[in-house]
Amino acid sequence: MVATETSTGPAVPGVPSSPEGGGVEREFTVKARSQRQQIVRRFLHDKVGMTGLAIFVLMLGFGFLGPVIQGVDYADQNVGAQSVPPGTADYLFGSDEIGRDLLAGLMQGVQRSLFIVLLFVVIALPIGLLVGALAGYFGRWVDSVLMRLVDLILTVPLLVVLIVVASNFPGSRTPLGVGIILGLFGWLDLARIVRSQFLSLREKEYVEAAHAMGASSRRIIFKHLIPNALGSLIVWTTLAAAVAIILEASLTYLGFGVNGANQTSLGRLVSDGVQAASTRPWLFYFPGLTLIIIVLSINLIGDGIRDAFDPSNRRVRA
Amino acid sequence: MFFFTIRRIIASVFVLLASSFLVFALCAASFDPLARYYTLQPRPPESFFANLREELGLDDNFFVRYWNWLTGALTGDFGETVNGTPVAEQLGSRLLVTGRMILLAMVIAIVLAIIVGVIGAVRQYKASDYVLTFLVYLLIALPTFWFAALLKEFVAGGVNDLFGEQILYTIGEETPGLALYADGWELWSDRLGHLVLPTVSLALLAFAAWSRFQRSAMLDVLGSDYMRLARAKGLTYRRTVVRHGLRNALIPLTTVVALYVGTLFGGAIITEQVFVWHGMGEYLIQNGIGNNDINVVLGWLLVSAVFVVLFNLVADILYAVLDPRIRLS
Repeated sequence: MVATETSTGPAVPGVPSSPEGGGVEREFTVKARSQRQQIVRRFLHDKVGMTGLAIFVLMLGFGFLGPVIQGVDYADQNVGAQSVPPGTADYLFGSDEIGRDLLAGLMQGVQRSLFIVLLFVVIALPIGLLVGALAGYFGRWVDSVLMRLVDLILTVPLLVVLIVVASNFPGSRTPLGVGIILGLFGWLDLARIVRSQFLSLREKEYVEAAHAMGASSRRIIFKHLIPNALGSLIVWTTLAAAVAIILEASLTYLGFGVNGANQTSLGRLVSDGVQAASTRPWLFYFPGLTLIIIVLSINLIGDGIRDAFDPSNRRVRA
Repeated sequence: MFFFTIRRIIASVFVLLASSFLVFALCAASFDPLARYYTLQPRPPESFFANLREELGLDDNFFVRYWNWLTGALTGDFGETVNGTPVAEQLGSRLLVTGRMILLAMVIAIVLAIIVGVIGAVRQYKASDYVLTFLVYLLIALPTFWFAALLKEFVAGGVNDLFGEQILYTIGEETPGLALYADGWELWSDRLGHLVLPTVSLALLAFAAWSRFQRSAMLDVLGSDYMRLARAKGLTYRRTVVRHGLRNALIPLTTVVALYVGTLFGGAIITEQVFVWHGMGEYLIQNGIGNNDINVVLGWLLVSAVFVVLFNLVADILYAVLDPRIRLS
């Protein structure tokens, strides 16, 4: 095997020079990149996506490193420091009505909300992928049965499905429970997306070729179809993650989300803050803004990834 | 087109039937109409429960119960609430309240989405596009209830201070009891004052996502050959964008809007909660789930499903009207 990938200079090491002796003169060289490298490169050059990523990384640091640096436990209630306005040395973001530090609460809330998102993705992604893949790949009755089922569930708005389920499981009022419920019912639109992708991908020549060579359905799905549908999968994941954060907040606001003593999430903090909007405005603004920044950053990342996978929508480089 | 419509209507009826069955099965499994008597002290005698079960038909076969409920619902009888009032009547008045909230909001949202989407596409990567895009992304990231609370806190307070009297109301769909003695302008202006903030909240949040759809649809269209042809024929830019571009770029948005509006008839749940409107959403959360009332939840789910399926149908038909390739394939 001869090195095939790059040629940065006129003389390629390892390739014997031509019989004439002189190497091939080139005006310019083009570095060969795999499709994956191209996508990553396009994303790295996308200002919007990179801004989102930077903000998101900062928020990750805020949620996971912040508590270590600050060293304050949100659960600690300081009776002497109730409803302290923000700006004091001990309570940079103020404290709530039972003397808990809001900054520590925000950091913990970010942590819990990201945990919920992680759970949601880990559960919803495989289910949606499986259902959509089966329906799109096998078609016929499998498609009919699975998609009619999805249609049926979608006759009820997702928020209502979540409310009804959560109201039946009072034990679910924790980040863990909310994440699981979100995951169990948040895959319906993904299944539709994957299905429509597979419907068109399975007609491609390379799938036919794989068939002809005797590849099993499982191999075709995992080796050929899923890698080619990866773009929509990643884009769905980011956009759905942003929606999941807002859904958790909404569920919590309606009383079916994270609830109870010693349970926090961003949604919990934002919901509590709404009650205090006029009396203790810092409890209203800081949690709300934190949530907006996280959701915004995830959406920007999603936008960047979508452009990286599908550059057709972008301005043509002059 | 005629047969296409008929086919879709028949399919929708089947979806509704299946949906009603699924909904009934789930509710029958998760709600116990007698639950609130179990915790009474002293506990009522067994004969009391037996009588109630007999009266409510809980001992009947599951399919018999479903059939009884369905035939009742089809003739407009949704049963009674746990407090003994008819569900159908309440659903009707709740629907009117919710309808009032979403009608104007949706019209505003659609118009805004089209305008902002088209501007964003036509002026892609210009300053105005960037500003609009940023605002839209900000709106998409807002939790409904936080934004609504912001409106209540600042817009309502500011406007009312400015005029020195209460113009915008933040709670309820009308001043309680006003309908008993007032009518005409007095009643309607009061309702309008209550309507403004929920409408703004709903419209802005719905429009944000739609405008992105409209923008990318418009971008697709602007790059197409027939647009270049229209320009080559000598049409003005404005005319090509509006007559040739916009007409085609409206197709994706139509579907998205129709689907969303269908779900809204079940109540703009969160907006209703924040502004304390007694609409469909509140009915489900408080009267239905809050009271553990199976007939309310069932009635709500059925009515909501009817609207979702109906607007799915509307979306399909509109799509076929706007894009003839669909109905011919």
